[in-house]
Amino acid sequence: MAELDPIQVEIIRNALVAAAEEMSVTIWRTSRSSVVRDILDYSTCVFDAAGGAVAQSTAIPIHLNSMPSCLREILTNHIPLENWHEGDIIICNDPYAGGQHLPDIQTFKPVFLDGERIAIAGVLVHHLDVGGGAAGSYDPNATEIYQEGFRIPPLKIAEAGKRNEAVVKLLLRNSREPVNVAGDFASQLAALDTGAANLQRVGRRYGPALLKAAMARIQDQSEAAMRAMIAAIPDGVYDFHDFVDDDGIDRDTPLKINVRLTVHGEAVSIDLDGSSPQAKGPVNCTLAMSLSAVVCGVMMALGTDIPANAGCYRPITVAAPEGTVVNARSPAPVANRMATGHRIVTTVMGAFDQAMPGTVPAAYYGVSYAYAMNCFNADGSRQVYFDLECGGWGAHPEEDGANGFSCGLHNVSNAPVEMLENTLPIQFQEYGLVPDSGGKGRTRGGLGLTRAFRLEAPAGVFAANLERFKYRPYGLAGGEPGQPGRLTLTRAATGHVEELPSKVARLEVSKGDVVRLQTAGGGGYGPPGARDLEAIARDRSEGYVTG
Amino acid sequence: MQRVRVAVDIGGTFTDLQVLDETTGAAHAHKVPTTPADPSEGLLGGLREAAALFGFELGAVSAILHGTTIATNAVLERKLPTGALISTQGFTDVLEIGRHFRSRVYASKAEARALLIPRSRRFGVTERVRADGGIETPLDEASVRSAAERAGAAGAEAIAIAFLHAYANPAHERRAAEIVQHILPGAFVSCSHAVSPEIREFERTSTTVLNALLMPVVKTYLSRLRGRLADAGVVAPVYLVQSNGGVTTPEIAGEQPARLLLSGPAGGARAAEILAAALELPNLIAVDMGGTSYDVSIVDGGVIRLVTQGKVDGLPVRLPMIEIRTIGAGGGSIARVDETGRLLVGPESAGAMPGPVCYRQGGSAPAVTDANVALGRIDPDFFLGGAMSLDVAAARAVLSDRIAQPLGLQGDAAAEGIIAIATTHMAAAIRLSLFEKGLDPADFALISFGGAGGLHACDTAAEIGARRVVFPRDPGTLSAWGMLFSDVVHDLARSRLMRAEGPNHAEVEALIAAMRAEGEDMLTRDGIAADDRAYPVALDLRYPGQAYEIGVPYDGDLDATVEAFHAAHQRQYAHAEPHVTPEIVTLRMAATGRLSKPSARPFETTGEPAATLTRTIRLAGERQDATIVRRETIASGTALTGPLIVEEAHSTLLIPPGWRVVVHPTGALIADRQT
Repeated sequence: MAELDPIQVEIIRNALVAAAEEMSVTIWRTSRSSVVRDILDYSTCVFDAAGGAVAQSTAIPIHLNSMPSCLREILTNHIPLENWHEGDIIICNDPYAGGQHLPDIQTFKPVFLDGERIAIAGVLVHHLDVGGGAAGSYDPNATEIYQEGFRIPPLKIAEAGKRNEAVVKLLLRNSREPVNVAGDFASQLAALDTGAANLQRVGRRYGPALLKAAMARIQDQSEAAMRAMIAAIPDGVYDFHDFVDDDGIDRDTPLKINVRLTVHGEAVSIDLDGSSPQAKGPVNCTLAMSLSAVVCGVMMALGTDIPANAGCYRPITVAAPEGTVVNARSPAPVANRMATGHRIVTTVMGAFDQAMPGTVPAAYYGVSYAYAMNCFNADGSRQVYFDLECGGWGAHPEEDGANGFSCGLHNVSNAPVEMLENTLPIQFQEYGLVPDSGGKGRTRGGLGLTRAFRLEAPAGVFAANLERFKYRPYGLAGGEPGQPGRLTLTRAATGHVEELPSKVARLEVSKGDVVRLQTAGGGGYGPPGARDLEAIARDRSEGYVTG
Repeated sequence: MQRVRVAVDIGGTFTDLQVLDETTGAAHAHKVPTTPADPSEGLLGGLREAAALFGFELGAVSAILHGTTIATNAVLERKLPTGALISTQGFTDVLEIGRHFRSRVYASKAEARALLIPRSRRFGVTERVRADGGIETPLDEASVRSAAERAGAAGAEAIAIAFLHAYANPAHERRAAEIVQHILPGAFVSCSHAVSPEIREFERTSTTVLNALLMPVVKTYLSRLRGRLADAGVVAPVYLVQSNGGVTTPEIAGEQPARLLLSGPAGGARAAEILAAALELPNLIAVDMGGTSYDVSIVDGGVIRLVTQGKVDGLPVRLPMIEIRTIGAGGGSIARVDETGRLLVGPESAGAMPGPVCYRQGGSAPAVTDANVALGRIDPDFFLGGAMSLDVAAARAVLSDRIAQPLGLQGDAAAEGIIAIATTHMAAAIRLSLFEKGLDPADFALISFGGAGGLHACDTAAEIGARRVVFPRDPGTLSAWGMLFSDVVHDLARSRLMRAEGPNHAEVEALIAAMRAEGEDMLTRDGIAADDRAYPVALDLRYPGQAYEIGVPYDGDLDATVEAFHAAHQRQYAHAEPHVTPEIVTLRMAATGRLSKPSARPFETTGEPAATLTRTIRLAGERQDATIVRRETIASGTALTGPLIVEEAHSTLLIPPGWRVVVHPTGALIADRQT
């Protein structure tokens, strides 16, 4: 065991974080599609030689723990470490072998120094299209994973430095966007090379033994910090549940998410038993996805900025019975897993509120409001307008929730109205806050948003993957829930306003029709009667609350 | 002296002056404390002192080039007037909604988002311009009058007007401004098409709001300054330094104060460009390390790049500005041991007040400067040229109590550790700045300035794999020196989405002609002679569907510009699509008025020849005897080798073992790694 002083640990930590960030910059710099470069839907990770996560670079919380759990699954059940050789790259996107949804392709490269494996570099990229029943591999009507695109079981996409071009060709032949996907995939592999070169540099500088010891210490430090935070929570068993509106196919059946949180000393266990059976529609989570969402919920409940690595996960155990919406069996569809993922986050946070009341915020809007309009132009061309929206944050015990701001698993930018109108046959009517949408309370929930647009092309087809239309973001400690989301279509021909459900598979729209999305506000905290008069007056004068 | 050109850089703590004798080319530096209540007072005081010290009459000043953080500070400290925003009905919340992306991913309270105009002072009016500039809904003048009346009733002194697509058709904004001026005659009114005529409503609105709120602040300051200068008999024109590295007149600065917002790094960047040419080192990493922050900018092929957007307090400013990466690492960066036993350095800073423990100003947390003092790298009796005596014992004690003991280390090891960790942060920032452009650190030399940079530059260079470090003269006032050589630059822009191909060539030329007419007017008002004017044009291009653009020069040949775009895309992003026609998003013109450039005189040694003093310092875990020299005594052509400490009035340089340093005729020290 090499001698290790705390300064070396910190210097090596910074070098490893920098390695993850430089992989990330490589993808940003060399990727081809706008999904990757503009929405930043990718993440990078540095693992120790045994596959424990040490450093990550990610802005999107759903990716947290995605790669570590995928790697663990690959090592345990598919390709054991002794078969990982220099120059190999292992690839996987199969949700039923540790992956997330199919567009998220994960790759791992072992890093060797003088014949010894010193680390593993990992990169996850959300690819534009991996085939399946709808563009973007996002088919709301899917009832089996076979309708969602191509599955890549864990396999070596490169062996001893040689890429398996046959497999790459096969995959690209099945994508609607072969050029973009080929470009992004090349960038993904280039990032692995950047990471590997950096890790070799670090290994050469400090020696493999010191590097190994430092990696272990870095994980131990995060674990100790997590355990210290958990130890401060009273031991006990805390139950909470929340609901997903429906799976989009069976619209009358809500899906229950049940959490039993057990705090015991310095560890927590989260049991999702009691959650609904797996759904027919694509809102299912595999265990790996649920794990990711649970970790996000725990981190947000603790409000922590502990560096996320394998050490953080050690005090957390997660159980979920097979065949449920939180641990679906193949071939259940999973493309819209975020509906359930967000609900796992809010349910975990609700359970933590029971355990440590007065520190956890009420529920946030709780869904990535994704919708798409396929516009059919007069000249026969087609253009897809895709957008993502957010809503209000839950009230924190100490302050009002933020209005219209990314939260939870969700963290992407909105698209400028002027840019959309310049490039697409749509025109916006409104983009604003929704007064009265924040749950009332001693502190108020953040406001949801309204986004309304008119189709200017002769015809279009609209689809949406939304949530929180029926089950509102909960309030806490006597606070009221936030207002639910709402989606309407106003027909130009008749002036008729149609109320739409939260999940829309294929709705035909004509020129002049207006789609109006209203997103949920956050829940309130504490009794509304306890709100101070100054805050009430400000809510009125600012028009956050009317009447 | 006959005629002198003066540059004044007013920062939060110090006002730096550089005086250039236009006849001999000799430059002189001076530094006085900033007078925050009215910075023009310190400016005049400093100018009078410099005149006495260097022997010139105030009437002999030919031009004053003035950098100021007054606009930035007014925003950061919220010393702004009451404002109102008038925008298109249905979109008044755009300012509050922003762009959604959060930086603290697991925070249970949302990060604070600055909002300069609350909802109650944002008013919607009935009007709508389409993306192509066509009018969908005519301006309802009654709704503008009503908005102006309500804004006035709410006490608004500054009114921002930002309508959708006003960059494509400003008619509604212009008419609305007339109505507002009529109803509120004393108000400061700012329109988005005049401040930042670019597509993307949130960024344009944010820039316009900042501009409106800053108008009274900057105009008040400039009128005071004008009064003081006139009273003192200074007749020279004053130019204000802008974020784009160029200067502008007080008249334009008063109307467009947002252009001053990120001008802090402009002088240093300009200096780095000049030195890159003088030293024949076209690839430089310019690093400015002060008490709180570490600014990195890249001179690539002799020029520092501009970017089209920056941020102040998280608020976007959509105007061309020097590209810079800032991290929280400086002499005042605080070291601490956290609950898990990690040694963390920064980003929190002790700043100038109370400052590091060794300053004797009540600081209680160990800072990077304390580590340098404890290791003997800073002479406690020669700090700021001896103006401040440092408390070595207190620095050692706090390092021992707060860092060494909790970690079980020796005091010196803890101090070296703090510096090593700070170095890794600085090196990571540089590597990312190069990496995102596809550049290799081995092709670059570091140029180090700012009060705290000299002690860390060689270590940082070694960390990134660079082999050369340049230490320019007067690193504490280098930014002011760079300002001496500025030109007048007025940035003009037109956003118009169209394919970059033949059929649109006429429209491109028409837009450029309109910008040129505007630019000519401005330069005429500035009194720039026809021969000294230039109107370079660049187009911001992208492949259809992308969200970011690359600026490419345009000289009338659209095909050549498109070719250059493909090449630039290949260089920056490692791929290109030569068969795809890119689209134009924004056309830009930098209407430039060249100011005369007196040439700088070669450096001459002053003072006594180098004495052979030595001091024991700690380096790489060992005590070593370092040669100590005063910078001004090193003769041109002399070569010295590390370990070496070079002391100067506002900075200390550390040349580690294995580095050799020579003096360049410009007075810069050039250190090369020998091993």
